[in-house]
Amino acid sequence: MRIIVPIKQILDPDGLTFRRDKERMFINREEYIIGPGSKAAVEAALRLKGEGDEGSGEPGRTVVALSMGEARADDALREALAMGCDAAYLLSDSAFAYADLSVTTRVLAEAVARLGGADLIVTGRESGDTGAGQIGPRLAQALGYAQVTDVCALVAGEDGIEATRRWGEGYATVKAPLPAVVTVAPEAFEPRLPHGARIMSAYREWDVPVWDADALELGEAALAPLLTKRRESFPPPLEVGEVFRGDPETVAEDVVAALRQQKIIGQAGG
Amino acid sequence: MDFSFPKEYQLFRRMARDFCQNVVKPRAKAIDRDHTVPHDVIREAAKLGLLGVPFPQKYGGMGAGETGYCILAEELGRVCSSTATVIGAHIGIAAMAIHLDGTEEQKQKYLVPLAQGTAIGSFGLTEAQAGSDAAAIKTTAVRDGDHYVLNGAKVFITNGDIAEIMTVMAVTDPSLGAYGGITAFIVETDTPGFSIGTLENKMGIRGSSTAETVFEDVRVPKENVLGGFGAGFLTFMKTLDVGRASLGAATLGGAQAAMEASIKWAKAREQFGVPIATKQSVHFMIADMAVEIEALRSLIYRTAWLIDTGQPHILEAAACKLFGSETAHRCIDRAMQVHGALGYSRDYEIERGWRDQRITEIYEGTNEIQRLVVAANLFRPHGVRISS
Repeated sequence: MRIIVPIKQILDPDGLTFRRDKERMFINREEYIIGPGSKAAVEAALRLKGEGDEGSGEPGRTVVALSMGEARADDALREALAMGCDAAYLLSDSAFAYADLSVTTRVLAEAVARLGGADLIVTGRESGDTGAGQIGPRLAQALGYAQVTDVCALVAGEDGIEATRRWGEGYATVKAPLPAVVTVAPEAFEPRLPHGARIMSAYREWDVPVWDADALELGEAALAPLLTKRRESFPPPLEVGEVFRGDPETVAEDVVAALRQQKIIGQAGG
Repeated sequence: MDFSFPKEYQLFRRMARDFCQNVVKPRAKAIDRDHTVPHDVIREAAKLGLLGVPFPQKYGGMGAGETGYCILAEELGRVCSSTATVIGAHIGIAAMAIHLDGTEEQKQKYLVPLAQGTAIGSFGLTEAQAGSDAAAIKTTAVRDGDHYVLNGAKVFITNGDIAEIMTVMAVTDPSLGAYGGITAFIVETDTPGFSIGTLENKMGIRGSSTAETVFEDVRVPKENVLGGFGAGFLTFMKTLDVGRASLGAATLGGAQAAMEASIKWAKAREQFGVPIATKQSVHFMIADMAVEIEALRSLIYRTAWLIDTGQPHILEAAACKLFGSETAHRCIDRAMQVHGALGYSRDYEIERGWRDQRITEIYEGTNEIQRLVVAANLFRPHGVRISS
């Protein structure tokens, strides 16, 4: 079974400051990480492979990481290798610079095809920066695979998957045939730390091949975006609720009274 | 000249920091209070390959050399000196002696389980009357057929009561002295005649165990002679030379943590209506910490580079231990001053750091011995021989 995990490298949000008044994002520390959704996807795939404490997988399964991005995304792929992936490919070309979601989907789908297709594609529910949440569903559409989104538990057999996803107030467990695309909820798959020796090997021994537009046989027309970004803006400020001021005792009494009024907490003794 | 860390080391530091912050740090206070070794933390470290950081991958190690090991020691030193000591004695001296001087068979049999963390190691040099004067040891090893029979006792042995494998220095020919008369052995601690004596009740690093180990007719196969017969003193001194760089790295982590805590507290603590971070007296203390830490960091990683590239490093490694422990002393002391009475409270990390720091000026060669090592290396080319 071949499991392919498309991942995205993002700027570490811990190194950023957002100034709403200036409508600007400041980079205090420029460090790139695997986005949390992508990292959870790597973890979910590796558990299917049967490695780590929570593995429920079987031998003979391979996990391949893909990332479309600038040359520095090589680091994200090597980290994925260190975590336990069997192979990794970087999809990088200056012609990808203006890619929108439709172009990104095309590039990823082409890479999947070049790898001979996948039995299962696991990716994050949404990226850690733009948060569009579209790559999984679009990839399923492009490849003609089944899809299950927002998955928090996943079991894979040879002929299909059983995935648990959020459903209203609770959860639903659904079955899907293979091949399939699954997007995972980041909070459901706590990523493992990479093994020390694999970190060294990932940089010193293993290759991360780079596939450019020519390698993927994608011409100018295929890489023309449908959307172009004109400007970035901040969402409107959140409406804050009531602010209580005063000495601690009074504030506590006022908060309790307000919560009772809203029927969020019950009456004293009741 | 390029002072940046290669990318594998950058990723390794992120992994080590994540492990230290999320697994090691939460246990630091309790293991100090309860005087217990965090076996669960050590097992988790082993799973990530952290008990074999400097050793080649073919012996179950991580293959990250002294540079990688210093990164681990620094990150451990930031959060828990006890855990740093347990892992430091295991890697830096116990397994290191086998790595440096073991035969291929010894490495397969002993270095592999140590590097993988399926066995814990200890290093047996110090005796009641022999510490700084290492050549004054009294433990003996007498040949009996295919075995050597060991008798004596080692004291202040880190991991002494938890180790499965111990490297031990013993006298094989009292007439020959340090060079020729002392041999190193690898001892499996389940050998009959090996027992644990007194456990030390220490001021600091209380989450590490320090034990007396007793040898009563302990029979060690002759294949377990480590390094050349009669060359045990050299094996042990060579091991300590390397170990000193990583000891310095752990003190670097401790000093850095003390400075960061001081900055954070100075911003939060208000006196005379303003945060004490606005006071010049506090600026000067923190600036002095920062400068010394920066100098120490350069010294540590340059020395690690000397070791990894096979260059002479004895003077520099002694300097790492000496300057590192004394820098950490000054930094944690200033941090306590910045924190005021809160720093003196058992409830906060500064007090533990202050107690934990003190031993670093004593163990693995007192700072007085380090000064002798430095001086000896300076005077030797001038034909002046310095002995203690």
